[in-house]
Amino acid sequence: MAPDLLPRLIAATAATIAAHTEELTTLDQAIGDGDHGVNMKRGFDAIAAAAEEIGAQPLGGALQKAGMTLVMNVGGASGPLYGSLLMGLGKAAGQDGDPDIAAMLAEGVAAVKKRGKSEAGEKTMLDVLVPVLEALRAAEPGGLTAAARAAADRGLAATEDMLATKGRASFLGERSVGHLDPGARSSALLVHAVCDVIEGKA
Amino acid sequence: MSDCVSIVIVSHSAEVAKGAADMVREMVGDEVRVAHCGGNPEGGLGTNVPAIIEAIRSVYGPQGVALLIDLGGAETNSEMAIEMLPAEMQDRIVICNAPIVEGAVMAATEAAGGSSLAEVRATAEEFLS
Amino acid sequence: MNDAAKDLTEALGEAVIQDPTGLHARPAVKLTKLAKAHQAAVEVRVGAEADWVNAKSPNAVMKLKAGHGATLRFRASGSDAAAAVAALVALVERDFDG
Repeated sequence: MAPDLLPRLIAATAATIAAHTEELTTLDQAIGDGDHGVNMKRGFDAIAAAAEEIGAQPLGGALQKAGMTLVMNVGGASGPLYGSLLMGLGKAAGQDGDPDIAAMLAEGVAAVKKRGKSEAGEKTMLDVLVPVLEALRAAEPGGLTAAARAAADRGLAATEDMLATKGRASFLGERSVGHLDPGARSSALLVHAVCDVIEGKA
Repeated sequence: MSDCVSIVIVSHSAEVAKGAADMVREMVGDEVRVAHCGGNPEGGLGTNVPAIIEAIRSVYGPQGVALLIDLGGAETNSEMAIEMLPAEMQDRIVICNAPIVEGAVMAATEAAGGSSLAEVRATAEEFLS
Repeated sequence: MNDAAKDLTEALGEAVIQDPTGLHARPAVKLTKLAKAHQAAVEVRVGAEADWVNAKSPNAVMKLKAGHGATLRFRASGSDAAAAVAALVALVERDFDG
């Protein structure tokens, strides 16, 4: 693992959430309670504020600590959901050597499903994360980030036509159709940010 | 006092949570311990895990704690909060599937007589049935 | 009297609701709590015809929807049945202590 990987991951994810806070808010105002952007920003700002402490740990411990930081700071369902994702990633990160990113994401996705009592196809962040996981499993070693990016975009776009059955959006029933899911959007943003870091662009 | 089930009210709104707790205290009395929390860390609408943990701990007793919660995130955050407490406490904390205000009054009324956690939960959940 | 005979002790009583808004939420809670303070099984009904319901059940008592001037009837069985009915009748007659 590159020594500066964690600081770069923290900076890149916090930056993309900060840059898209209003967009997430707008998406969430359409089908949720409008706090997703602000909640995510609060959480990732808290991670950025603890960057030194988090960065001092090995990858697995750092992800678990970052996940707990989200849980304790977000103030919405996305706290436990993204917190569970990061804690799941961290749990599967292993002690040393090159982490198996697909195995990590599999653990993270399982944690999100359990926490949200949800599956892919219900207009949630899982509609990005599950396709990304499948793409990572199928991808050639050199094509991981390209496959992840494409799967994230495809998964996000697919949420527009979905009927929400989980979370606040489910109260809208049919009226939830025609809007991108804000949680899927934030997941796609994070996938791109992580890919940027892995590709050396951020 | 500690031989009654305690009540914790978790709302997106600090004022709703406080109002529901006030109703419980006024209608049922002081023998049932009631804690409440609501709002995100900045005081806006939302629920947050540290506040829920704090509320549960403030009234936790051997008879257990019944949580009354409102919408969506309140449930996810409450479940997360419960899982972060010690295992021996987790077994004595339940989330009631009931309307927050009415459920809290019903649960507290049941609790005031010294009923078990399961009975308290059943009474709260019976309200709409 | 032996214990078995005590358990068979039954008591009946009735009282008229004086509150102009009837048996609303707060009195219903008081009634339930008082019933639960007794060991006896206590039942209540409005008037002479309705089904008896468990006076210790907050939901059942709340759903009685007994109005002003309605007669609440109590029956109890158990060792403190008489005391339970007397206490409940007194509570209604005191207009649920305001």
